[in-house]
Amino acid sequence: MKESQDDTIGALLRQQFEGPVADDGFSEKVMQHLPPRRRRKVWPMWLGVLLGAAACWICLINVPLLHVGWRDWLAGEPSTSAIGMLLAIAVTTLLAMGWGLLESRNR
Amino acid sequence: MADSAAEARIDQALVTRIRLNGDRRAFEQLVRRNQGMVRAQLRRLLHGDAAAADDLAQETFMLAWGKLDQFRGEAKFSSWLYRIAYTCFMQAHRAPVKHDHADDEAIEQLPAPMHAIDLQLDLERVMQRLSAAEQAVLLHCVQMGLSHEEAAYVLAMPLGTVKTHAMRGKAKLKVWLADWRDVGTEETS
Repeated sequence: MKESQDDTIGALLRQQFEGPVADDGFSEKVMQHLPPRRRRKVWPMWLGVLLGAAACWICLINVPLLHVGWRDWLAGEPSTSAIGMLLAIAVTTLLAMGWGLLESRNR
Repeated sequence: MADSAAEARIDQALVTRIRLNGDRRAFEQLVRRNQGMVRAQLRRLLHGDAAAADDLAQETFMLAWGKLDQFRGEAKFSSWLYRIAYTCFMQAHRAPVKHDHADDEAIEQLPAPMHAIDLQLDLERVMQRLSAAEQAVLLHCVQMGLSHEEAAYVLAMPLGTVKTHAMRGKAKLKVWLADWRDVGTEETS
């Protein structure tokens, strides 16, 4: 009974809705006012990447741990410094990837 | 259902064409395919004001053209358009809506309608006495035929809230239009 009453109200509401409006030149009017499509600019992103990389390089250039770690890595010796450097790179990369994923999900 | 899925795929293909080479003809196709329902949606939201609805519909398609890169395909393209249209409507009509919370007693005291031909007019009248949210939910879920999930996306409401508004809105209409049921029963007996 309740369902049939629901159906009746639903049917009345659907009957009241006029449905899609005929075009009557609306689409043409929209197209006439359409501005040229803007291409997304990519240079700000690359500028940011370059600036970020330069800032990292300036901050880390004088850190002895990195120098020692890099030297040991090149020499093929898995020292504490080399492993520490690789772990730092891995963690930073994972954090950046997670942040990127969160940002893309929120858009 | 299958038709709706096929329509959504065609819309998606047109969106891809626009993204790849800014194809204006593809956008024109999208406008032609979707303008009817977007304008109908806005006309209902604006209580039949066709001119204002068309202005908002035009604004909706302009915004869609500009923001097409932001369409991720998480919903149908038509739902994305309805969402933009509803947002435009909300921004244009921030003033408090009349009859937002109707006085149920006053409505129950309305004189009983005497002729069945007035039913649609009465429905129109009692619809406007529902809260704005209930009207919006009934419009999208019942009249436009969207699922609760799609309506939740369009109206930016939690799914549970949409279901509650749909249920309450129908229940109120049922009470307010009860006299019609009695008339109908008398006429058939």
